[in-house]
Amino acid sequence: MAKSPVVTKRIRKNDTEIIRMGRELCERMLADLERAKRPLLQATKCALDNSFYNSKVGYLTPGSKKVSSELNVSSVKKISRAIFMLEILLRNVEISNINTKRELYYVAKGLVKHETMLRPLDFQDQDESDSVIDFLCEMMEAYREEFNCVADDRGGQTYSKQLIVQETELDGNVATVDLSTLGTAPYQPRNRPQNLQLSTRSKVDFCLVIESQGTANTLVANGFTKRHNCILIGAQGVPSNAVRGWVRLIQEQLSIPLYFFGDLDAYTMQNIFRTLKAGSAASLIRNSDFCAPEVKFLGVLPEDIKKYDLVDYPVKENDVQEARALKKARDALANDPFFKDKRNKELKAVLEWLVKNKRRCEQQAFISVDPRDPQMMEKIIIDKIKSGVYIE
Amino acid sequence: MRVRLTGRFGRQVALSLFLKSSGSMAKKAKSSKLSADDEATGEVIAKVRKSAKQITTSSTAEYFSKNLQQVGFSSPTKAVLTTLKEAVDNSLDACEDAGILPDLKIRVEKVGSGSMKNTDQIIIRVEDNGPGIDPDDVPKVFGEYLASSKFGRGRCSRGQQGIGISAATTWAMQTTATGARVTTKKKGARKAFTCIVDMDLKNNKGVLRSKESIEWKPAHGTAVEFTLDGRIQLNGEGGLLNYIRSSVLLNPHMSLSYNISDVAPASIERVVKDLPVVPEATEPHPHTMKLGEFMSHSRLFGKVKASVWLKKGFSRVNDAVLKDLVTKQKLKAAVLDKNIDTMPDGDFKALFAALQDATLPPPATTSVLSVGEDGLALSIRRLGDIDFFAVLSRKPCICDFKPVQVEVAIARLRDRRGDDNEEPVQVLRFANRVPLQFDKASCAIVKAITSVNWRSYGLKQPRASLPLGPYIVAVSVVSPFIKFKNASKETIDASDELVEELRRALMQTGQRLSRYLSREHKADELEQRVQHIEQFGPILVETLARILQAPPERKALATAGLAKLLERDTKGIKKDLEAAEDRLASYLDEKKQRLSEFFGSIEEEEQASKAERKAAAAAAAAAVANQPAKGKASVAVAATPAATLIKGAKGKAKAQSVTKGKAAATAATKSKA
Repeated sequence: MAKSPVVTKRIRKNDTEIIRMGRELCERMLADLERAKRPLLQATKCALDNSFYNSKVGYLTPGSKKVSSELNVSSVKKISRAIFMLEILLRNVEISNINTKRELYYVAKGLVKHETMLRPLDFQDQDESDSVIDFLCEMMEAYREEFNCVADDRGGQTYSKQLIVQETELDGNVATVDLSTLGTAPYQPRNRPQNLQLSTRSKVDFCLVIESQGTANTLVANGFTKRHNCILIGAQGVPSNAVRGWVRLIQEQLSIPLYFFGDLDAYTMQNIFRTLKAGSAASLIRNSDFCAPEVKFLGVLPEDIKKYDLVDYPVKENDVQEARALKKARDALANDPFFKDKRNKELKAVLEWLVKNKRRCEQQAFISVDPRDPQMMEKIIIDKIKSGVYIE
Repeated sequence: MRVRLTGRFGRQVALSLFLKSSGSMAKKAKSSKLSADDEATGEVIAKVRKSAKQITTSSTAEYFSKNLQQVGFSSPTKAVLTTLKEAVDNSLDACEDAGILPDLKIRVEKVGSGSMKNTDQIIIRVEDNGPGIDPDDVPKVFGEYLASSKFGRGRCSRGQQGIGISAATTWAMQTTATGARVTTKKKGARKAFTCIVDMDLKNNKGVLRSKESIEWKPAHGTAVEFTLDGRIQLNGEGGLLNYIRSSVLLNPHMSLSYNISDVAPASIERVVKDLPVVPEATEPHPHTMKLGEFMSHSRLFGKVKASVWLKKGFSRVNDAVLKDLVTKQKLKAAVLDKNIDTMPDGDFKALFAALQDATLPPPATTSVLSVGEDGLALSIRRLGDIDFFAVLSRKPCICDFKPVQVEVAIARLRDRRGDDNEEPVQVLRFANRVPLQFDKASCAIVKAITSVNWRSYGLKQPRASLPLGPYIVAVSVVSPFIKFKNASKETIDASDELVEELRRALMQTGQRLSRYLSREHKADELEQRVQHIEQFGPILVETLARILQAPPERKALATAGLAKLLERDTKGIKKDLEAAEDRLASYLDEKKQRLSEFFGSIEEEEQASKAERKAAAAAAAAAVANQPAKGKASVAVAATPAATLIKGAKGKAKAQSVTKGKAAATAATKSKA
């Protein structure tokens, strides 16, 4: 059993801090080596058994478990690779260069290719270099993006007639994007929330995150953002770091109600909504900036099926994916600190209902309420928001 | 309809055709007039119908001629191998029975296209230096099924029933219409007898033709030559070369020269000069018999008392057992005093039942034959460049109430060695010293090999599969009564007791082998660690210094510190390596004592090779002295395989250490082996 939970550091506003931290780590290691002392590298263990749901902050925080790597014959390769990659990352930060993980793999390959001495470090495939980057991030409790290592910004397409985004680029330039000028085209948030500043042209009533990007697009095309002062976001499945950081930013800077609208199934509840609301065990050290604890589950709710006579389906237990999701849901009910916390008992009840009834209902099912009315889904969403039919 | 009918098969076809068409023919009969041809056909068919109803008796030869696949002639490829195998088995058995060290000459040659599709016409000739065959016996040996001098004798001879070589003659006759050409000469005879043996299938008799007396160089021996249709498969498990390798392994006393199409001719000399003693058969054990056999057995003894018959005619029956039959099994004492030739069936049954219930010692194991660990060790070197090996002869034991002896030899080949060698080991299976080359999966030997956890002995092994690597795993089962799964003797039946005995033998051999592998793994581990230190240490310090822009003094200090740290890490593994080397050294001492003959022979070879090298060096020196203008002649003297074998076993760490830096060198100097 891990000891008391730890609240992670917030995102660093300044690149120089990460450079300083990297250098400090190297200094410590070199000093240890000079004294023939084994350098010890420690990283927070990012796993469910080291996860705690902190109801005060509203997200999963790490326990005191650490993953340690002491320099010895077995670990010398791993540590050498880590320091080699750290050098690449620190240089990137210094010269404000950005790379994806894949690109960093090739940067490392290129350096190894041109320097015979470095040959033993060569990465056989991207998984090897990725794990070194993740180890560095966990060790320094830094976000990958703080090292200028960015992922493909999947999901998060945002539509609004009120929102204005100010982005400070890496070279210091400031760009302003007024979302009302984009028509039906979305704004794609970058995965560096620390570089973004939000403001609004007029009061925004709510922010709606929709699981399906296609459904979000349909709502916008049918005039949802014109009729309502809101921010509409397509999550595109499991929310990426960019989506989580972006929704968090909206929560902090605009202080508006946040709603999530998605399918009624175990996967959505446990993998998509839980990750958006409380973060994930794999990214324990990032959860403070990459989740939005205030987001509410708007639906589909179990009672909606009856109320709107929605088309639903039985969960096929012979389908590998669905059976796995069901099993994971049972595990989550037993072990996930988020669902075990009493503050989330309503969400837990939904998950229990899903496990018990083995039914699933998709968000698009609201269209079937009146197929001739293109605004049917919009009307139901607004009705649910106004009448407070959602789970906090 | 015109039907050409030849032989019984033709008649049956005609009959079936007739029966199918007879219905419609009957309907048409009234309306149309039968032609003359149709009438003739009808008569023939009527005759066929009549003959089909008669019950006829076929000869054994007729049966086998139609079922040659049952005795190893299921394809042209297998036909070539089986023919060679049967001829070699006969030669070896004949030599051993006559107390002659076998010298075999094998020729397998393509001479043209075969009459069958996709076959070649092939001549297979096997010549031995055996005692020769009496001309009167030649037709029985090569042209008669179930004519054998060994059938049911309970000896560990290769051949048993007298089927194989006659089947080869049948195949030759069926495919090329030529029987076996036999040349034989008995000791002391001036001339050899030669003839062609054809088969009279109807009467299961050999028929001799082209009989001649000829001049023949060898003092005695037999040569048999078959011309048949077949295909030569050289490599792979069912290949001729594999067969020859296997035969060589289990027959260390055999010299063999072969000349096979597409392969360079080669000779393999014997490594053992003593003939294996084929133990005489023991009397049957009462528990291995059935009632009918028991009663038939009594007929061989004529007018003797039952008690005498039991004691003389069976093993493990003595006075104490007879007493036991009366006291414990409640057999009437009078039964034992009755003469067996007049004894009623009821008494036989009572006697048999009492014997089955009596507690008897298991059958004697003296009737099994072993190659011996020395023989295996010497022989295994003939299979290739061996890195190291382990051999084991289990004590004879009883499996399924039959005496069995299991022997195992495992060797690692040097030339196929490599880290990426992920092929399964090569399994050589033997039953009574005859290689088994087909139907591997269901064989008791393979089942036993796959059931052993080879990973604990240092070999790679996927789950429930053969282990991987450049190894030869040779397993021999010797027993007077081997339970084969089929008549072609390709697979040993996997009874639980036999598989368990095989497992034990394999595990013991695995333990012996693990002495080498454990030392090797420890040396590899040490080498890897040292490599790690040499490779990554400088990179780590260099990178740290570069990030911090540290001065050279700091870098030097850190390098020294790192070296100290990592040196500490190799201490443990060095200790492990020393321990593994000690274990290997003591194992080698024990092995030297156990395989004294083998190591004596190695020593002799080494001395001979030393003398050769000396002579070569002296000759080279003399040549240099005689031709000073031409400069120094380079004399390359290769180490003998024997020397390398011992080096491979003992001083591998030293050899490796030359290239493996300081730490490896330190380890090597500590190597005691």
